[in-house]
Amino acid sequence: MNFTRIWAVTYKEWREIFRDRLFFIMAFVLPIGIFLVVGFGISFDVEKITFAVLDQDNTAMSRDFLHRFIDSRYFDYKGHVQSEREFDPLLADSNIRFAIIIPPRFEEQLLSGQATSVQSLIDGVFPYRAEVAKGYVTAIIANFNTQSLAEYLARKRGISKGQAIAQVSPLRLESRYLYNQALRSQWSISSGLMMLVLMVAPPFLTALGVVREKENGSIYNIYASTISRSEFILGKLLPYLLISCLNILILWWLVMHVFGTPFKGHPFFYYIASIIYVLCTSGVGLVVSLLVRTQVAAVMLTIVLSFVPAMLYSGLLVPVDSMGRETQIEAHLFPTLYYLRITWGSFLKGLGWTELWFDVAILLSYALILWGIGFLNFHKRPAE
Amino acid sequence: MGEASLVDKQAVINITGFCKRYKKKLAVNAVDLTIQRGEIYGLIGPDGAGKSSLMKAIAGVLSFEQGTLDVLGVTIDSEASAEKIKGRLGFMPQGLGLNLYGDLSVEENIDFFAQLREVQPEQLDQRKDKLLGMTRLDKFRERPMKNLSGGMKQKLGLICTLIHQPELVILDEPTTGVDPVSRRDFWAILAELLQEHNITALVSTAYMDEAARFNRLSLMYNGQILAAGTPDAISQQAKGCLIELTAEPQLEALKQLKIHYLQIETIGSRIRVFADNTSVNAGVKTVTDLLAGVKIKTIRAFDAALEDSFIALLRQRPLTDQTQKDNSIPRFDKPLPDDKSIAIEAKQLTRDFGKFRSVDHINFSVKQGEIFGLLGANGAGKTTAIKMLTGILPPSEGEGQVAGADMRKAGQLIKERIGYMSQAFSLYLDLTVMENIRLFASIYGVDRKTLKQRIDWVINIAGLAEVIGQLAGSLPMGIRQRLALGCALIHQPGVLFLDEPTSGVDPIGRRQFWDILVHLARVEQVAILVTTHYMTEAEHCDHLVLMYAGRVIADDTPTTMIESLQNEAGQLLEITTDKPLQALTLLEKENFKGVALFGKHIHLLALDVKRVKKQISELLTKHSIKLLEITAQTPTLEDVFVYRVLALENKELT
Repeated sequence: MNFTRIWAVTYKEWREIFRDRLFFIMAFVLPIGIFLVVGFGISFDVEKITFAVLDQDNTAMSRDFLHRFIDSRYFDYKGHVQSEREFDPLLADSNIRFAIIIPPRFEEQLLSGQATSVQSLIDGVFPYRAEVAKGYVTAIIANFNTQSLAEYLARKRGISKGQAIAQVSPLRLESRYLYNQALRSQWSISSGLMMLVLMVAPPFLTALGVVREKENGSIYNIYASTISRSEFILGKLLPYLLISCLNILILWWLVMHVFGTPFKGHPFFYYIASIIYVLCTSGVGLVVSLLVRTQVAAVMLTIVLSFVPAMLYSGLLVPVDSMGRETQIEAHLFPTLYYLRITWGSFLKGLGWTELWFDVAILLSYALILWGIGFLNFHKRPAE
Repeated sequence: MGEASLVDKQAVINITGFCKRYKKKLAVNAVDLTIQRGEIYGLIGPDGAGKSSLMKAIAGVLSFEQGTLDVLGVTIDSEASAEKIKGRLGFMPQGLGLNLYGDLSVEENIDFFAQLREVQPEQLDQRKDKLLGMTRLDKFRERPMKNLSGGMKQKLGLICTLIHQPELVILDEPTTGVDPVSRRDFWAILAELLQEHNITALVSTAYMDEAARFNRLSLMYNGQILAAGTPDAISQQAKGCLIELTAEPQLEALKQLKIHYLQIETIGSRIRVFADNTSVNAGVKTVTDLLAGVKIKTIRAFDAALEDSFIALLRQRPLTDQTQKDNSIPRFDKPLPDDKSIAIEAKQLTRDFGKFRSVDHINFSVKQGEIFGLLGANGAGKTTAIKMLTGILPPSEGEGQVAGADMRKAGQLIKERIGYMSQAFSLYLDLTVMENIRLFASIYGVDRKTLKQRIDWVINIAGLAEVIGQLAGSLPMGIRQRLALGCALIHQPGVLFLDEPTSGVDPIGRRQFWDILVHLARVEQVAILVTTHYMTEAEHCDHLVLMYAGRVIADDTPTTMIESLQNEAGQLLEITTDKPLQALTLLEKENFKGVALFGKHIHLLALDVKRVKKQISELLTKHSIKLLEITAQTPTLEDVFVYRVLALENKELT
């Protein structure tokens, strides 16, 4: 190892990054941009479902029933309509996602002890949201039924409403959510996005940095000189690793202060684990740079190799446990899964070395393998 | 392996039976080469001849399959053995400034190479000052590399390659794309530096006229060495002589001579024939006897220069299956104006890019049937001028007219009368030849009735019959450019714009290309405006315009341009001495005009030839330099270009 030569390459690369506006954007603006866009964009909380009402009864009871929807934070009331036909354009243009129709004689039938039905129309284009909306509606109606029954019992037997409710539904479920009490998906998503961004940005930088020299021919300066291949790889990637280490801190800050996600783990542990992860993903970029010759090809291949596992196989969107058998095996082949465990473990569960050492070890071996492949396949005397 | 080095211990490079293949394609085939210490050795050949592959292998940056390669006494047969020589050699890959770092300044580039090569800081400062001074780059230390001109980039590349004082330098086409003035400068600096440290150099070039720069050279074609030796020895290997004549009518003379000679071309009003196995003395009579019913105005015979010899050598050996084109090039199927009206006109044409004036009030006009050459260095404004004339770029001032109409406002009818072939031509490399032609036919709206006929015509005129089903990307440069020309001709335009159509094409390919152009101009009366870097090609034009820094600095026929240089600055003297470098510095000091080094010869311009000859011989004798030969020659167009540009540069300096 000759440090003069490593420094020569590192220093040259560093100045190029800061003078080439495109590269500078790639290094800092792009990762933060991806993070903010996706962070604010992805949310699994189904709230504020827009809806409209057709009340054909228009009595105290129908209004009381409807207020259970209008007052809920899960629904966003858009107004009343006069006929069922008016729903079609509203639903078709996505002005509302859900409609509720109260039949005539709603109050009269209920008071006379007869069953009646309300109709709801739910936009089923996005099934997940439709399912959740249906769940809310069901819950509100069940609640309405329980209360009606309780009131009836209270009146008939002369007991208090509380007693009546206890008799109507003697067993109740009390659930408490751990680690993310309010079930805010943004906590999980924002911290999880550190995994995504650090999977995408570092390999982009390293792959482009090496391929750029291959594409315009300046790599021959390296081939024709006495610098050894490990010196070159190290010198070349050092600036990119530094930038990524800086990006870890920036992203971390954003997760905590822009998305308000708490960090319950050990900062030192998490930073070390993140650096190992960056080494690992930079290694992906190094391997890509060996396979391709043009910058365009490098971008394409990096997107495939980084975005796909980060989005689909990491467990960010779909829990790994609920994947199919084969998919689960595939998911375990990518480093993203392990780092996501480390991230959620650190941010939300407050875990550290004792619980997560295995995942860190796997990341470390990934990094060693990828860098090993990179080193062994970089030749200063290639065949073409 | 050990034996090879025993054969010639002095040799810096020793190669036997070298082969390099890329997948199935054989790039270099059974090459033998020996280069001695202190030599400037040249590899000359067109694109794809195998020069780069050979040079990269010697530099230890490319593996090869067959043969032995000894460099600086080390047998190169593995990555590890190649590493042993890398400290002692410098390699500059192909491409204008491509191996340098655009965002770094001149000085930072040099510093990077020095650190990479572990040059000690004290030594670095000393060498840097000296090299920057010699290359006159010291004023631009802080300038980012990307803002340098082509010639300056190559000089910086040379500094970076030499900063660690290697014993051997390998320079891959350092002068390609560089204007003649900068090229001369580059060669002078190189020669001086190499001499000073007794460095051996292996240099490649695509310009045949640079052969005189080398001590010895190899002509490469198709992966093989066609001929090797001193420039003179190679020229003599092609048996025969050149005969140049002017005759009336030219077309008739051409037709008659084509029956007997394969290597024939027209240069403006002149016809030039290479007569195989004919001596200079017998040449004139042989050709005169062949012509009947033609009035010969002038005729002379002389020894061929390297380019003609190269083509003759290729022909005389069964290396190419050159199919001789018959004389019946098909005619246009629609009539074109037969008069000599003005086809292209630039009036005070000007274009600014921000503060930079790319084209500065230029004026010229091109008649129907005229081949018009636009010459100038990179960035002189040639491409910008063409873009304004064709209506692609709006002028800042003045106007450009084609067939009497401003192209920007012209109707479709007039636009259909022009053809344009751009610098980096827009062929679709993943389409076959036929698909490309069909595509252009539909772009230009050739109607269905004439389509088939028109396609056949294009295939015929561009000589594409044998490659019709091949992918455009798989064709050699020469054929690819003919296809591009064919596509630009699909609508049989009366005016043709060609922007550096032959760069990277081998001499044979260039000749075939020019054959088509001459036919179009002479027979179909097409007006052709062409830009080129090759000064030898400029001679083919009927009329030339020289551009410098956006301005027209000369506007005349090639012959008149040379004549006026002779009137102004005199004849070209070629001086051969035993110590060329010393003689050079001496002559430069004495203020002779246009002193330049060409290999072992020195060129300069002299009005009073007799007096100057005497002066030089006295001067050299005084400094005990032996004068071997001194001959007067007609200056070339390159001399005109260099003289005019240098005169302007000097004027700007004072």
